[in-house]
Amino acid sequence: MQTDNNLIVEMKNITKSFFGNKANDNVSFSLKKGEIHALLGENGTGKTTLMNILTGVYEPDSGDIFYKGKKLRYSYPGEALELGIGMVHQRFSLIGSLSVWENIILGNPKNKLYLNTKKISQELEQYAKEYKFQVDLEAIVDKLPIGLKQKAEILKMLVRDVDVLIVDEPTTVLTKQETDNLLVNLKKIAESGKSVVFISHKMKVVRRIADRITVLRRGKLIGTVTPDEVTPEELSMMMVGKQSGALLERKAQLDQKKILSVEGLHVHSDKNLLAVDSLSFELNTGEILGIAGVSGNGQTELSEAIVGIRELRDGKIWFKDIVINKLSVKDKIAMGISYIPSDRIHVGVAGQRPTWENIGMKIYRYKKYSNVFGLNRKMMKEYADEIVKKYDIIQPGIEFPSLLLSGGNLQKVIIGREIEAESDLYICEYPTRGLDVGATEFVRNTILELRNSGKAIILISGDLDEIFMLADRIAVMHSGHFVSVFPNGKYDVTEIGLMMSGTLEHELQVNKGGKNV
Amino acid sequence: MYKVVLEQKERVSPNKELLFNIIAIIVALILSGIILAFYGYNPFTSFAGMFKSTLGSSFGFSETIVKTIPLIFTGLSVAMALNSKVWNVGAEGQLYIGALFAAWFAIYFPTLPKFLEIPMILLVSMIGGALWAFFPAILKMKFKMNEVISTLLLNYVAISVLDYFVYGPMKRDDNFPFSKDIPPEAVFNKIGFQNVHIGIFFALILVIIVYYVLKYTKFGYELRIIGSSIKAANYAGINYDKMMLFVFLISGAFAGLAGANQLCGIEFKLHSHISDDLGYTGIIVAWLARSNPFIIVAFAFFMSSLIIGSEALQYEGIPVAIGKVMQSLILFSILGSELFKNYRIKLKRG
Repeated sequence: MQTDNNLIVEMKNITKSFFGNKANDNVSFSLKKGEIHALLGENGTGKTTLMNILTGVYEPDSGDIFYKGKKLRYSYPGEALELGIGMVHQRFSLIGSLSVWENIILGNPKNKLYLNTKKISQELEQYAKEYKFQVDLEAIVDKLPIGLKQKAEILKMLVRDVDVLIVDEPTTVLTKQETDNLLVNLKKIAESGKSVVFISHKMKVVRRIADRITVLRRGKLIGTVTPDEVTPEELSMMMVGKQSGALLERKAQLDQKKILSVEGLHVHSDKNLLAVDSLSFELNTGEILGIAGVSGNGQTELSEAIVGIRELRDGKIWFKDIVINKLSVKDKIAMGISYIPSDRIHVGVAGQRPTWENIGMKIYRYKKYSNVFGLNRKMMKEYADEIVKKYDIIQPGIEFPSLLLSGGNLQKVIIGREIEAESDLYICEYPTRGLDVGATEFVRNTILELRNSGKAIILISGDLDEIFMLADRIAVMHSGHFVSVFPNGKYDVTEIGLMMSGTLEHELQVNKGGKNV
Repeated sequence: MYKVVLEQKERVSPNKELLFNIIAIIVALILSGIILAFYGYNPFTSFAGMFKSTLGSSFGFSETIVKTIPLIFTGLSVAMALNSKVWNVGAEGQLYIGALFAAWFAIYFPTLPKFLEIPMILLVSMIGGALWAFFPAILKMKFKMNEVISTLLLNYVAISVLDYFVYGPMKRDDNFPFSKDIPPEAVFNKIGFQNVHIGIFFALILVIIVYYVLKYTKFGYELRIIGSSIKAANYAGINYDKMMLFVFLISGAFAGLAGANQLCGIEFKLHSHISDDLGYTGIIVAWLARSNPFIIVAFAFFMSSLIIGSEALQYEGIPVAIGKVMQSLILFSILGSELFKNYRIKLKRG
């Protein structure tokens, strides 16, 4: 067994407050050489704050940090990285207008005045291959879907030779296969003698990968355990303090009507490449269509085309038996199409604006709230207060900018706003990504409730468990079209996983010897 | 070895921000004083002269107010565009075309009674300014052309257009490159304090309207969403292109009003130097005021007193260029003080 001499990082009795709230309350944490140490806890429990203190982003109010046996005090932000402590943040720190490779080499002291772009590209390709990270190095970051951005972000750290690698919620944007891939790679990194801190709220993943698990709850240290010491139930108790509830029942739908049909849809991506390629499907009221797929296979472009944010190249979309190709976003909202986008902070809300303005973003056109001359600010604020109460949104006050809200509460703002707008079609893109157990349960139940009340729902998710849990039908999307559409239950995780990487349905059946036919 | 380390401050109180601005101005005055002394002028008498010529005498004070009026218009013009993330650096050109339209209407159309003539002139100047803003707006909308380039270049075109008219069709009979005087019905009344004219009321009314519209209307709300995130605005069904076009036109119209104000309040005839960089100074005013309409008034006054003050230095025998240097130093100091406002500077042993 390893002794204390093996410790590379030791944080003792760390306390840090923001505006009087203790984000970390007397937390101690240690990291051994070559171990994968998971920091487990719900959103807003201070996991990220603790690691931000380790990397010098914040200064602790009290407590000591030791790194390689020496007491640590930072004098500038880049110092942690130079000392060998690198962190991949949950919110990306990439520069949107630069290409992937430019981002990766940015600020890396290894590169001198003259940039040998050819050599650098080759090196990066090498890294990308080694870790099986398929990223177009020449692509401009802004134009990449969120999943690929994250890959670039992780790759960026891998290229620096860090001794301590901190990854903050890395799996939230990855598919099952990609997650497996990442976990294998992180294990490899740890075996090479580096230490990994794995911040996550996903118990399952954490149990699979971690050598030790430290659980935080509401800023306090609950305990450090090894995965074998505790059962999943015990671990879950440590995390949330209570058992999580069950999902809502799924009602049988009697009176279903076709509400949306898409025929021969072609949509281009920002890069002007074909992102959605002759796609056709139909959707009924009271039905959840789960779209499974690796992010960046046209899901976002598909939803944006239906909502009207993105131009169609070809094809037709009927909604309530009317062709809506040419309608504006505003008209479509009025017809009853709601969208819960994956990019909450830039698309879902105007982050710098106060929460009441963001909650009012759909209803402000109603006569009750505005006329030609003015906006009824008082009524809009009252409405926002109502929503905050009804959806139990924890926030500093509706006058504060929405970007101060945690991920889960921000999602509640968006979901509350969309549900109260009483639409008939809901397009939910990665609705539970990055949310903690409580908020995830709430969102999933809300989606089921919408379905039971006869709304039509398109659920785009990278989390296959979620799709199995919620969808009536599942469509697997790969490079712009549906590989297959089938009722939920026909195929299992592995088969869907294969289809997500492009294997056709009939090939699957040949391989499986006709199982499930 | 010591290292200079910057630490971000969490919050800056408005009082402190004001204090920093004042310190910045004092630093700039000291630097300017050194330059003046270097050239053999007594800095103290020079500054006293500057002060006397702006705030120290009723004539100087009134002149400062007169110069403040167009700066409020151009400041509002730029600020309006900034609200929808559009950089209109073409207020200068829009002002010229606004003045051209106003002069054409005042001189060549049948003269109306004063209570009709002045509103008509204001309207016509707004149309002129909006027209000049329409070109860059449509170029941005249809061809995604960068508005900084297009509005800036159109400024030079506007000056040439104006020159064509004052040297050509509108030239006065005595062959000077001026237009004829505008009829008395078109002249802005004086309000009884030196040269200050009713333009000041038009400017202040516009400030209140802009404030109200931005804060209390659906349009203002939509602009705020756009200002925070264009993607969020599109998502909420706000047509960004349409809003951008509209805001561009309003921005141009405000600059056009500055043109009418110069024509009917001060110059009474059209000529090539009717603006004298008012459009560019408006960019600075809008930027310093963070696009807040009321604060625009304060900074318009500040910039105006700088301009008037440095012009007055000429009477002390000091070249006007030194006045311009002082203006720049003050601006640089205020911009530089941003660093001290937002960061704590520490020396650390490294």
